[in-house]
Amino acid sequence: MKILLVEDDHMLAHEIAQALRNENFAVDVASNGEDGQHLGDTEPYDAAVLDLGLPKVPGVEVLRAWRKNGRQLPVLILTARDGWTDKVDGFKAGADDYLTKPFRVEELVMRLRAVVRRAAGHATPKITCRSLTLDVQTGLFEFNGLPLKLTALEWRVLECLIMRKETVVERGLLAEKVYEGDAGTDSNSLEVIIARLRRKIGKDAIETERGRGYKLSAIPG
Amino acid sequence: MIAFVLQRFIQGQIDQRLDAQIVFLTSMLTADHHGNIRLVGDADGPPFDTRQQGWYWKISGPENVLRSRSLDGADLDPPDVNGRPPPPPPDPLRSEKLPSDTRPAPADGIGPLDQLLHFRIQSVNVEGLSVTIATSAPRSAVQKPLKEAMLTLGASLGILAIALVFAMLLQVKLGLRPLRHLRQAVAEIRSGQRERLPDGQPLEVQPLVDELNALLVQNATNLERARRHVSNLAHGLKTPLATLSLALPKASGDNNSLHSLVTVMDRRIRHHLGRARSAATSGPVRARTLVASRARDLVLVLAKVNAEKPIKIIDELPADLVVACEPQDVDEMLGNVLENAFRWSHTKVAIGASIQGRDVLVVVEDDGPGLSPDQMLKAIQAGQRLDESAPGFGFGLSITRELAELYSGSVDLGKSALGGLRVSLRLPRGEPLVEVLDSGERRPAPTRAD
Repeated sequence: MKILLVEDDHMLAHEIAQALRNENFAVDVASNGEDGQHLGDTEPYDAAVLDLGLPKVPGVEVLRAWRKNGRQLPVLILTARDGWTDKVDGFKAGADDYLTKPFRVEELVMRLRAVVRRAAGHATPKITCRSLTLDVQTGLFEFNGLPLKLTALEWRVLECLIMRKETVVERGLLAEKVYEGDAGTDSNSLEVIIARLRRKIGKDAIETERGRGYKLSAIPG
Repeated sequence: MIAFVLQRFIQGQIDQRLDAQIVFLTSMLTADHHGNIRLVGDADGPPFDTRQQGWYWKISGPENVLRSRSLDGADLDPPDVNGRPPPPPPDPLRSEKLPSDTRPAPADGIGPLDQLLHFRIQSVNVEGLSVTIATSAPRSAVQKPLKEAMLTLGASLGILAIALVFAMLLQVKLGLRPLRHLRQAVAEIRSGQRERLPDGQPLEVQPLVDELNALLVQNATNLERARRHVSNLAHGLKTPLATLSLALPKASGDNNSLHSLVTVMDRRIRHHLGRARSAATSGPVRARTLVASRARDLVLVLAKVNAEKPIKIIDELPADLVVACEPQDVDEMLGNVLENAFRWSHTKVAIGASIQGRDVLVVVEDDGPGLSPDQMLKAIQAGQRLDESAPGFGFGLSITRELAELYSGSVDLGKSALGGLRVSLRLPRGEPLVEVLDSGERRPAPTRAD
């Protein structure tokens, strides 16, 4: 799962990014509205955390621009001012949820997972594919009823695949979802991650569509 | 004073006439060698031809006496002027040439019919004879025109005085009318119905109006600046606090007490910023906010956030209710109350509003667990937080209460017919003068031109 964080305060951005990475999320950080808008327009993020009080381009304008350009990614807005008015403006611009500073990490993560799940169209917080289950609310995988231990990169790949189960996820998209903006995309290591995952959840759980990408399928093929 | 001048004037006129008669009589007077005097021709021209009206004359010669016909045979007894202080002593030089007095002497006396008469008496020398000529006019000839004149004058002066008083009153009324309009306009500014004084005032008042308008603009600017400062302060404090809150889990094992410190700091900041912001607002309350449109926006936000819960919203808000509060503050108050209702409700949230005298009563109800009377008391006390595990609860209600009280409103908690909590928010009613649009812009309502 890849998150775009648009926050002008470097310390706060650092803390949020750190907290989200601890939850296995890939995080890109933009420190102003212009960069944030550009990244949101060009990269396939699963969700965005958007501060409304941004320099240069205000957060609401960024959000409005994304929606105008047809970007449907779920957006969680951060408001520093006790602003219900800000919240209303944010929601009118297309926000999906809000958090008022200060907030706790758990709260942010929970809200993020909820908006992503809702955006993906999953009604229940649990997504199951054969003996593999993802609790979207906690972000925990279970395999055969037992907790599955995964590295951050493995989690991101598996999460991306299970959110799009039964469909082929192209390698490029998968790489974009897994690697953060400044890290070089290494397709080899993507192969390595898939191989490691297959060792953990079974060789045929992840199908390889030659030349296209990967698929998590409920029906053994 | 006027009477005196008039009397002198009328007296002068009569004296002239009498003196003319004396001159006239003198010119016709001749004497024969016996010393008898007589008149040549008719000396009784008007008004000396009217009988017994007081217009008489009498010529006393050394041998005989001539009388006017108007005496009708009666005698005229002119007072003796010799005993009176004589007319200015004759100039010795002139007295030789003009042995008689040049000016007739005035005197008052009584006529044959007990009339009060005014005499002019002069001694003349007619062919060597000393002759005294007395002419008389009735005193009433002086008094009557004077009385008439005074009466007319008095009446005219009276009418003039009344007219002047009315003119003055009218002038004051007309002259002060712009000030009265101005007072009305200032009152309207104070009650929030208008933002500035109308231009196009009379020349004398316009500078004052300009100054007042400039003052209002300056006030508004200061207010806006204060708001911006407070808002920036909030941003400046909240962001590091958020950073601190996120950094905490790594820093210490005693997370909970540190987190509660952050919560306390947040609470204090919110409390004081709310006060500061509202203090910046207080001044002329000119805000007009439509309750329904703000509440519906908030409900949309909360319904989207709580999309997981199948909450039915019972919206009984009249479309046109207006409160005299800043839109931001209305958002804050309703937002906190509605957020609470959504958080605790199972299936239903009801929101309604009604006019209660000069206030608007907004009622938000839910079908959640509700609160015990003891909890209710705690919930609206400043800084009290009922349940740490449900962030924002109680705290939001106390913020709402503080804001409402700054607008002389109130918050009451009670039990809802739906089963949960009922929050009654009382706010001052605003006149539906301007329509507050969703974006917060204002435009004049079509029904009333500003």
